[in-house]
Amino acid sequence: MSSQRRIDWAIYAGFVILIMLVPLAMDPFWLNRIAKYLVFGMLGIAVALSWGYAGILNLGQGLFFGAGAYMLAMSLKLASATSLQQGSDKPVPDFMLWNAEPGAKTELCCITKASFLWLPFQSQWFGFAMGVILPVLMAVVVGLIVFRKRISGVFVSIIMLALVLLVRLVMIDAQPVTNGFNGLTDLGWFKVGEFEFDPYIVPTYYLVAGSLSVVLLAARLLIDTRAGVILQAVRNDENRARYLGFDVPAYQTFFFAVSAAIAGFAGMLYVIVSEFASPTFMDLSFSITMVVWAAVGGRASILGACIGAIAINMISATVSEAEGFAEAWKAIIGLIFVLVVLYLPRGIAGLAHDLIDRAVTRKAPAGSVALRVHDASSQLAE
Amino acid sequence: MLEVLFIGLSLGSILLLVALGLAITYGAMGVINMAHGEMVMVGAYVTVLSGLWLGTNIFVAIPLAFIVTALLGLLIERIVVRKLYGRLLDTLLATWGVAILIQQAVRLEFGLTFFGMHIQGLGPGLQNVDVPGILQGTLHIAGVDINRYRTFIILVTAVLTLATWFLLYRTVAGTQVRAIIRNSKMAAACGIDVERVNALTFAFGSGLAGVAGVMMSGFKTVFPDMGTSMVVDGFLVVVMGGVGSLLGSVLSAGILGEINGVVAAGTNDILARAVVFGVVIAIIILKPKGLFALKGR
Repeated sequence: MSSQRRIDWAIYAGFVILIMLVPLAMDPFWLNRIAKYLVFGMLGIAVALSWGYAGILNLGQGLFFGAGAYMLAMSLKLASATSLQQGSDKPVPDFMLWNAEPGAKTELCCITKASFLWLPFQSQWFGFAMGVILPVLMAVVVGLIVFRKRISGVFVSIIMLALVLLVRLVMIDAQPVTNGFNGLTDLGWFKVGEFEFDPYIVPTYYLVAGSLSVVLLAARLLIDTRAGVILQAVRNDENRARYLGFDVPAYQTFFFAVSAAIAGFAGMLYVIVSEFASPTFMDLSFSITMVVWAAVGGRASILGACIGAIAINMISATVSEAEGFAEAWKAIIGLIFVLVVLYLPRGIAGLAHDLIDRAVTRKAPAGSVALRVHDASSQLAE
Repeated sequence: MLEVLFIGLSLGSILLLVALGLAITYGAMGVINMAHGEMVMVGAYVTVLSGLWLGTNIFVAIPLAFIVTALLGLLIERIVVRKLYGRLLDTLLATWGVAILIQQAVRLEFGLTFFGMHIQGLGPGLQNVDVPGILQGTLHIAGVDINRYRTFIILVTAVLTLATWFLLYRTVAGTQVRAIIRNSKMAAACGIDVERVNALTFAFGSGLAGVAGVMMSGFKTVFPDMGTSMVVDGFLVVVMGGVGSLLGSVLSAGILGEINGVVAAGTNDILARAVVFGVVIAIIILKPKGLFALKGR
């Protein structure tokens, strides 16, 4: 096991070094693109954590991503130059003027019905904090209700799916506060002190890559803690864990919230590199796409899911450049996905794991067979 | 008010039309078929294509769409779904992939676009279906204007529901299906050919989706993505009604349709859908097994 674990950590370290070296070989345009894909990689981690380790297939992860994105985007919207040019000495988002109540003052307090909600977002760090706090709050509320009632499996998936669609519709309907379908565009840059994170510069890439590395390693450490092991016990047999005296809903809610926090954080980073937030983040297809990434990469491997997300997006970006091939690529993705679910349920990471296992076993045939059996059985239990 | 209730009824019947097939595949086979919406889409395209190439109307398209989608369903069952029985969430994921494949097949005209060929009626664009004159306009009944096409949808839904009920509860095959719903291993032990019945059930459910597609094509634009939102609505109906309960699906479709209609009349369509989602979430939380849960399994 120790040699396997060493290999595991070596792979993690290799991945971190690799993403740190990317700026050496890329122009700003591609650097920005890759930064986006790293954000998707972070989403893969969030999915793997809740699906692979907590056994909760969340078909509404976009809710947390979108919440994080909108929170920061609101602050950045107020920081944008156009918001200062709306005829008031305080920033007012341009779209609010188009939706203004007749005769209302051009100020955040009262220009549209609920525009006062934007007031605290004049501070960028408020938006930044809310980008994690709000998803966590939502996850805790949902988790406490759902897991205490012992709702599990597909019902959790459907509740989350309905929830993300519900929130999406409310966001679209609340046009005067959220700019509806169009989302928040024309944002200012994220600032730390005097430094501005222009999405096309190298420091912004490192902001994303560094965040991803920290989240990746933290998630890996988290699943090795006692709580992480108990969580996997819950995944494998909920009732047994309950009979052993563990407070199952507490563990599930905790990891659900961690996953939400990661997704929310990813949403914020996405806003920083892509300069918009839109209700499409809460589309059903986006939430399922995240699950696809994790499934292809390996649902029960944090790094696997992360690499799966990055790789799929990299390949589709490259392939879609070819004229007329974008649509065909979508079909190929669909096909890959069917094949992975059918023949490779543990994804690429599972395949890699088996190959490494085989290599290790050849070196030390004695002890590792038992380990492999144990490993396989825990994977099968799902 | 009567008009609002009628619109609610017709919305409910559309929901039921899509949900009926799902109720069977999900309830009987434990398969979450995300490609169900694409079956609806294929049914709609059958209407478009038969109209363009055969010059036939919507009435001819109904049996045609049923056959095409049932065969497609059989194919999907044989190739993909069969390998995944008992892995509920994996069926969801795999059929999502199948759904993408079907969508792209229509969008790329089965790949012919790469060879510069084009089939009229396919492709990424929007298609329209002409409704026969007899189904256009409105009827005046008791001083209320009633849309003929909506009435037609309600009738077709009622007929299909009755047919499904009859098949499930009054035929030998239906008894076998219900035995599988309760306990598939025990059913197999009693000599039921579970594989065969499952395949036929899946084909029947897909065929129902095809008919739903024909009905949709009469009042909605037909395009390759049209099925995605429908499958979600269909699922919510089935889950709320209680898995494996036909009556539950009928009632929950009715309830959700009326809620949608009434709220939409008071506010707007977007909020009405949001309220529907809210109601479904509340019901799943309060009664996770649905309104009419089957005991057993």
